[in-house]
Amino acid sequence: MRKLFQKLGIVPATIACFLAAFWVLGLIVLPQATMIERSLWWEEQPADAQDAVQKLDQAWIRQAELSLEDPSPERDTELAAVEAEIQRLETLDTAPVRAWGLTNYVRMSGLHLRIFLWTLAASLAVTLIAFVVCYPVAWAVATAGPGLRGPILLMGLIVPYAVNELLRIFAWLILLDREGVVNTLLQALGMPGVPFVETGSGVFITMVYTYVLFMVFPMLNSMETLDRSQVEAARDLGASIPQIHRRVVIPHSRPGIAIGCIMVFMLAAGSYAVPWIMSRGVGGDWFTQLVYRQFYEANQWNVGAAYAVTLLIACLAFVLLVMKVMRVSLREIAR
Amino acid sequence: MNAGRASRTLLDAYLVLFFLYLAAPLLVMMAAAFNAYPQPSVTRWQGFTLHWFAALFTDARLGTGVLHSFLVAAGVIAIAIPCGLAGAAILSRLEGKATNLLYAVMVSPILTPGLILGLSTLIFWSPVGIGAGLTLATLAQASFITSYCMLMFLARLARYDPTLDEAALDLGANPAFVFRRITLPFLWPTVLAAGGIAFLQSFENYNTTVFAIGGDYTLPAEIGSRMRFGLSPAIAALGVLFVVATVGGAVAWVVLRRRERGG
Repeated sequence: MRKLFQKLGIVPATIACFLAAFWVLGLIVLPQATMIERSLWWEEQPADAQDAVQKLDQAWIRQAELSLEDPSPERDTELAAVEAEIQRLETLDTAPVRAWGLTNYVRMSGLHLRIFLWTLAASLAVTLIAFVVCYPVAWAVATAGPGLRGPILLMGLIVPYAVNELLRIFAWLILLDREGVVNTLLQALGMPGVPFVETGSGVFITMVYTYVLFMVFPMLNSMETLDRSQVEAARDLGASIPQIHRRVVIPHSRPGIAIGCIMVFMLAAGSYAVPWIMSRGVGGDWFTQLVYRQFYEANQWNVGAAYAVTLLIACLAFVLLVMKVMRVSLREIAR
Repeated sequence: MNAGRASRTLLDAYLVLFFLYLAAPLLVMMAAAFNAYPQPSVTRWQGFTLHWFAALFTDARLGTGVLHSFLVAAGVIAIAIPCGLAGAAILSRLEGKATNLLYAVMVSPILTPGLILGLSTLIFWSPVGIGAGLTLATLAQASFITSYCMLMFLARLARYDPTLDEAALDLGANPAFVFRRITLPFLWPTVLAAGGIAFLQSFENYNTTVFAIGGDYTLPAEIGSRMRFGLSPAIAALGVLFVVATVGGAVAWVVLRRRERGG
């Protein structure tokens, strides 16, 4: 710390520390910590408070009844007694108290748990498909050699990649909607239409398209740094094409593959736009939609926080798993 | 050699299929923007029209959305550039284990789903008086966009020659002067690049924004809610504008990249 101040000078170092603290604490650490904290408690009314609320209700009804009766000494005394009782009950502390524990996590219903597991499984499938589909493409672009072939291929990748996520989804909605392009073509061929949007298959198809390119660019960056003479040497030594890839190209491209897998999985598991638009609330629910509803419809922030933390843990586990399998460090991933 | 040529041909065929797969949906969307049919479609063609483009420019909510998106992007840049630079400056001058932890924390937002960023920002800041809305969306976006800026500054600072600082200090310059006359000019290209990246990331962000913005809206948030509740060819027309802008940007990027690598 002292070294920092010596190197930067006192005023710049103070400003730098202040700015970095605002970002690291105010936008990363404290929000995450608050979210975890909120997921660990819920509010409930103390048992005697519930009792008191019931008694208070009865007292209000009795008071209303009495005030409709004709005035008499008995009525007046009872009314006074009821009003005193109301006053006593109202001063009782009925404020809900905080209870701590993991209830918000374990209260997840069977349906929500199924949706959670489906979200993870589908995201894994999207990641796997993206890897298989993109590997040859990345290899082809990385080995395009001099000339115009490389830049043209690169352009073909960048344009759909840079077009907004929502527009890519929109394009697929035009294709897969009930009266969309695909169904119209199927009907023209005399085949029955497919309810893509209503069954949730549209969500999956669109998700692959929307996030597939997040796999290409990291892999491409890694493959481009591979010394081509290594491939030549392997070929001269008699390695077959699959052997070259398994023994030379893939080991070299580990960081790129790792980043690609992490990005695609994270985007798919955390995607809100694709299921929100491609299902219209009829097809398959995605876990992100459940989280959104806990916050913005049910107004249950603590349960929502528990759901969000659950998703975060799943994503974190995936990141660590990929880093272990691919034997890459965080510094290699985030560059 | 024959096997090599065969596999090349196979790869080329695969590439053609892949690029068809990438381009076809976007081409369909672009074609739908010029169809007079009131639903975005290419199969029911009712004649060429530019009506949907005209409709875009008279749409008040889209206009407001664009304005909001610019405001949010400006706010994100105002946070991400100074904070990212500060983070990189501290990381590049610290040593030891604490640095690795700090680094992990600083890049973690990139590896976190947007939903988590949006919601955690909402939970932390709304009790302080910043509820769901444009300001909160700005903060939520800034949390991860600052990480990208920080990484760009870190890469640039790694190529910085500290002897320049020492020489200037030996010659009697004070640290503020050194920063202004030596460090800042060195960093300036990265400031511009990081600003551009921050703008693009912010302008097209949907996933983080939607969880932090509540009832307010930016351009992507507005497009998103419209797609759910009825399709309009006007969105396709917007798509045409986006694709054209993207093609322009991509050409520029490829040219720059080739020049940089001496290709």
